[in-house]
Amino acid sequence: MHTHDEPACQSRRDFLLCGGKLLMLAAASGITEAVWAQRAGHAPLAVARLSALKPGEPHYFDYPRAGDLNMLVKLGVAAGGGIGPQADVVAFSMRCTHLGAKLQDTLQAGIQVLGPCPRHLTTFDLCRYGVVITGHATASLPQVVLELDGDQIRAIGMQGLVVPDRIRHV
Amino acid sequence: MSEIQPVPLPPQGAEEISTACDYCVVGCSYRVWRWKVGAGGTANTAVPWANPSQHNIVQWQGEPHHVLVLPDPQAKAVNPKGNHSMRGGTLAQKCYNPENKTRERLTTPLLRVKGELQPVSWDTALDIMAAVSKHVLKKHGEHAWGVKAYSYQYFENTYAITKLALDAIGTPAFAPHDKCANSNDAAGLDDAGLEAFAPAYEDWGACDVLFLSGTDPFETKSTLFTSWIMRGETPDKTLIFATPHRSMGVAWAEKRGGLWLPVIPGTDTLLHNAIARVIVERGWQDQAFIERWVAKRWEVDQGYGRGTRNTPWQWRTTWGTWQSDWEDFRRFLLSRDEHRLEDAARITGVPAALIERAAELLARPRADGTRPKSSFMLEKGNYWSNNYMNSASFAALGLVCGAGNRKGQVIGRGGGHQRGMISASGNPDWLSPEKHPGRRKKPLNLDRWLMDGQLRFAWVFGTTWIGAMAASDELERHIARLTRGSPHQPQQATVAAAAAALIARADSGGMVLVDSDIYPVEPLGTRYADLILPAATWGEADFTRCNGERRLRLYNRFCDAPGQAQPDWWAVQAFARRMGFADKFAWRDGNDVFEEAARHSRGTPYDYHELVEQARREKVTGHEYLRRLGGDGIQTPVWRQGNAIAGTVRLHDPLTRQGEPGAFRNKLLNAFNTHSGKAMLLKTPWNFPGWSEFYAAVQPRLEKQELWITNGRINEVWQSGFDDIRKPYTAARGLPQMLFMNPEDARQRGIESGDRVRVSNDTVYVQTGLPLGVTEHEMNFNSLLAAGHIGITQGSFEAVAVLDPGMRPGVAKAGFNARGSHANAVSHAVPDPMTNNYRYKLGRGRVERLDASAEKNDLNGPSLKPRGLA
Repeated sequence: MHTHDEPACQSRRDFLLCGGKLLMLAAASGITEAVWAQRAGHAPLAVARLSALKPGEPHYFDYPRAGDLNMLVKLGVAAGGGIGPQADVVAFSMRCTHLGAKLQDTLQAGIQVLGPCPRHLTTFDLCRYGVVITGHATASLPQVVLELDGDQIRAIGMQGLVVPDRIRHV
Repeated sequence: MSEIQPVPLPPQGAEEISTACDYCVVGCSYRVWRWKVGAGGTANTAVPWANPSQHNIVQWQGEPHHVLVLPDPQAKAVNPKGNHSMRGGTLAQKCYNPENKTRERLTTPLLRVKGELQPVSWDTALDIMAAVSKHVLKKHGEHAWGVKAYSYQYFENTYAITKLALDAIGTPAFAPHDKCANSNDAAGLDDAGLEAFAPAYEDWGACDVLFLSGTDPFETKSTLFTSWIMRGETPDKTLIFATPHRSMGVAWAEKRGGLWLPVIPGTDTLLHNAIARVIVERGWQDQAFIERWVAKRWEVDQGYGRGTRNTPWQWRTTWGTWQSDWEDFRRFLLSRDEHRLEDAARITGVPAALIERAAELLARPRADGTRPKSSFMLEKGNYWSNNYMNSASFAALGLVCGAGNRKGQVIGRGGGHQRGMISASGNPDWLSPEKHPGRRKKPLNLDRWLMDGQLRFAWVFGTTWIGAMAASDELERHIARLTRGSPHQPQQATVAAAAAALIARADSGGMVLVDSDIYPVEPLGTRYADLILPAATWGEADFTRCNGERRLRLYNRFCDAPGQAQPDWWAVQAFARRMGFADKFAWRDGNDVFEEAARHSRGTPYDYHELVEQARREKVTGHEYLRRLGGDGIQTPVWRQGNAIAGTVRLHDPLTRQGEPGAFRNKLLNAFNTHSGKAMLLKTPWNFPGWSEFYAAVQPRLEKQELWITNGRINEVWQSGFDDIRKPYTAARGLPQMLFMNPEDARQRGIESGDRVRVSNDTVYVQTGLPLGVTEHEMNFNSLLAAGHIGITQGSFEAVAVLDPGMRPGVAKAGFNARGSHANAVSHAVPDPMTNNYRYKLGRGRVERLDASAEKNDLNGPSLKPRGLA
């Protein structure tokens, strides 16, 4: 059922975006558990109004499931995946891709950084698709795919691999 | 949701195999789940969650198998509950799988014929090597036959390599991967009687104050930092960092009341002595410890009835410079002007208030009279800048604070690589043409020997050599000249023809180069080697070694090696048999090597002799016994306790029990490693000419707008770079080479984050010729220069600038040993005359902007943010 090809996306752009894939944990006997993954589409959710955002102020929301916490922020500088006139509004999962610790309240807005993670100090670059700046995570921070409809910001999908709840917080 | 890229879960019954990480010194425990591709069954959902970088498909006994390689969720000792770094977290991706980039592994021996590498059989390769070696040994002597080898890549291999080089062939031309000579690392620790790896991880976790010199363990020992230093028995501990770069661990510590001492490169000795002086002036030293554990005058001078000449610090120099006792050391601290706060602050660049505060934190007794438990960790930023004096003064500072032999009060190295060296023989130093002035022989500087054309045959094991050594560009020019620059190049792939050409090269002053590795090494293997031998590595054979707390584990085989790749011990044995040493090399398997090496481990910190004895009593092999101990293994030295064996938490601790009466006793367990069992306080005068002349010569030249160019380890690729360039995420997220610059230094040069820069030094000093020290000062820099033994060369490298306010002004830092960008090219190949070790961290250079890198404005690219963002 599975052959381990090199990820089809070779270039850095493709790798970080890695579009259109759902990553799953599957057993030889069949799929046993799915995790939210690479640019998976989900039912749209209205999360904020653009005109109400203040630069550097985090706005938290659950998506795509209740309990899956994300943070939306207007960075003030253009960011990968950013929306709005300055392409500076982004949203990210609040679950560290190292061992799943929670990242809320770690925004360093002035330098567009999330972290350090309170558990093991990984930091993520919010301008560059949540790529690891330093630390131990083996994947970028999952980014919420946003769309802008007039003043309404909606979450429409997730890009990246969200660490599941059951991972232990070492 | 149409495309699915699954990471499979193992079925019930998938095999579980314990191992430990291949990379850094911490040596986290890992577990491999392996099952056949296509195997059915119910999923084992108890297996920890795995992400795509923790899965691969390997060959096992010729059949494709899934493997998950995960930090051991049951780990108790090193990485409790399965903590990991980015390096270890992606171990699965290092396993050979021709479907991904590991297809670049070497799978067959290669011979360079008419300038091109082409596959040959092991027999052909080894026959050529033996024919050339026999000729070189006969005509040019054993000095002309050399080895440059890792010191860490498993006991089986290092034992075999040293048995060949130092024993069977008996050459002094031998150097480990990180040094130009087979010398001590942190020699000042050794001379103080401190084993560098005496402490246990629980000690780093149990101190109240931790002084870290020349290292940020967040960068280089991630799990030691995140599982022990950030946590451990005293999670509220205070950290004091002496380093020019405020990286993440430093920034985190500062936020929690710790200190950053932004020391000017090379001045650590004075910083240590200034802190010690404050402590002694205020009477904060641990007098009870000093009375009990620091050698007194007569104990300093004793030595098996042979006087002090048998003591390393006496070999290193003439009488009276270093040795001391408490009263003498106290006078030394208090009498010298440069130890005063204001003078020390000026020279070290560390504000006086910080020096005072460090002294208070480390040693001021509390109101109730108790002392803070202080520990002291150093690494290469310390001892690869002023090798002897930095490590000796560091040891003295720790001893004054009462550290060295108690839980939470320890002095040691954090470590670089794991501890995988069991030497089959003492270095045949007596054959070395180098010597200390008026004193003992000292180990041979292999780089200088090569540059001087004395080396005719070199076998390299698992190291880049060029990028790893100082004055890299100059070393490369010589290697190029001696190999590809020779008119004698094999034109046919037959043993006779190739050997004849290579012998002609050796006889005409050239060098034959053999490179054993797992990947083609750029440029040593790809451009210069005549023969390349494919090595089997981690996971492909049963191997053993210790980690940074002497924890011995079996690194189990769980997949097939690619093609004809073989463990290095096998290649060494096959060669040795052709050289007529068959009787000394009669191993059937890796376990035979392991058991033989056990005898040579006795008396060392890595003594596992009793483990092999116990295995014999239980009628299993040594490897098998160790396999049963799993991922937590056992800490060496191993000693016998009734019908069982026990390990050793820390060395030098008088409370450590050991051994049955009459059993072999390892002195290291309960005492310091000196004649008296007490530690030595060593004086380190700042104006010692073996140091001060060199330091004056290598200062950045303001008229050339030079900066200090130091180099250091980068967390995400440290010790795993050879694999990381083939791991998709790790390769994509990082720049190939970074130069961290203070923003003001960058602004003055018109440099922004993301710009490509060239770093160049037009005066790189290289020691040349065969200077012999007879009188006291002859091996010091000015005397060498006057005698024509200092050559002037150039070096440069390119990097992408990252502006980092945590970089001390006047200092820029590059990643160490990056592929294609040798930061060591701008550092000087003039070793510390005390130890024959380079001072890699003291490079200098102009930094010039070239252009904007591709990554500068690419939002899909790696981050250009600084590292210390706490």
